Amino acid sequence: MNSVVRAGHLAPYFKSSTQVVANSLKPLVVVPTPSEKTVVLPLPKTSTVETLHGSLPIQGLKVKAGTRVPAQVRFAHTDISYPDFSAYRRKETQDPTSKANETIDERQSFTYLIAGAGSVAGAYAAKSVVTHFVSSMSAAADVLALAKIEIKLAEIPEGKSVTFKWRGKPLFIRHRTADEISTEKAVPVDTLRDPQHDDQHTQNPKWLVVIGVCTHLGCVPVANVGEFGGYYCPCHGSHYDASGGIRKGPAPLNLEVPPHTFMDEGLLVVG
Amino acid sequence: MSVWSTLNRTVFKRTSTFALAVAGGTFFFERTFELVSQSIFENLNKGKLWKDIKHKYEN
Repeated sequence: MNSVVRAGHLAPYFKSSTQVVANSLKPLVVVPTPSEKTVVLPLPKTSTVETLHGSLPIQGLKVKAGTRVPAQVRFAHTDISYPDFSAYRRKETQDPTSKANETIDERQSFTYLIAGAGSVAGAYAAKSVVTHFVSSMSAAADVLALAKIEIKLAEIPEGKSVTFKWRGKPLFIRHRTADEISTEKAVPVDTLRDPQHDDQHTQNPKWLVVIGVCTHLGCVPVANVGEFGGYYCPCHGSHYDASGGIRKGPAPLNLEVPPHTFMDEGLLVVG
Repeated sequence: MSVWSTLNRTVFKRTSTFALAVAGGTFFFERTFELVSQSIFENLNKGKLWKDIKHKYEN
């Protein structure tokens, strides 16, 4: 019986010749089929290619389903050589029984290291680009070189005010006499329009460094003229004293003091 | 391999420490990179730079 079932494509031929009857009451008896009862399979209707194929004695494999029957038919069983991927595996995962949790540091850290190194390089590149563009907004070196002037103080005699050009503006440098210094230091601050003591104007009391632009409307004052012996603006009559302070006239503020430093050997750097 | 696991556990695992390491690393990388590239440039242009010919023009 089993052999009949297993030999799927031979089953029709077996069936036509023998019949096996299993009975628990009677012993197994092979009953030969009478020849007149030979069943000849009727020719199937061949209307399509599939039915024609089905009528052929050589038939394709038939898959039989059942509890005792293999559910599928395979041509190949153990002769397939599976590719070996161990060359592509990490060293930590060559052993399939290794736990992921135990090998995670070895597997991750190098990737993270590469990512970190890339981030460092990227951050450096970004910083360089930003610095490049931001520094392009600052003044150029030739402009910065013109922004400072050096003045040899020995060339200015006492009691004289000399005019220089600094950043497109007139610059007054006044070598003050001891008399002027004591006068300006004695001026009470609270009586001034723009209350600044002489010490706030000068670093060295012998030298007054101011920008020669009237704080009223921007005219250039004239030195050693005016009621207070300092500067006088001819445009609207503002009187400045020898400290650059406004004393009379329409100007609201004292003359502006630019940033300056006294270097050694009588050298003054403005800017 | 314990170096890797220490590195992974202390630095890489947390985004905050990772970012901190990147920022700190950038600081040192910048210094080294600029020093090295500067020295390479000066090595290639030896004799042409102002500091090499300065003594001819200044006393």
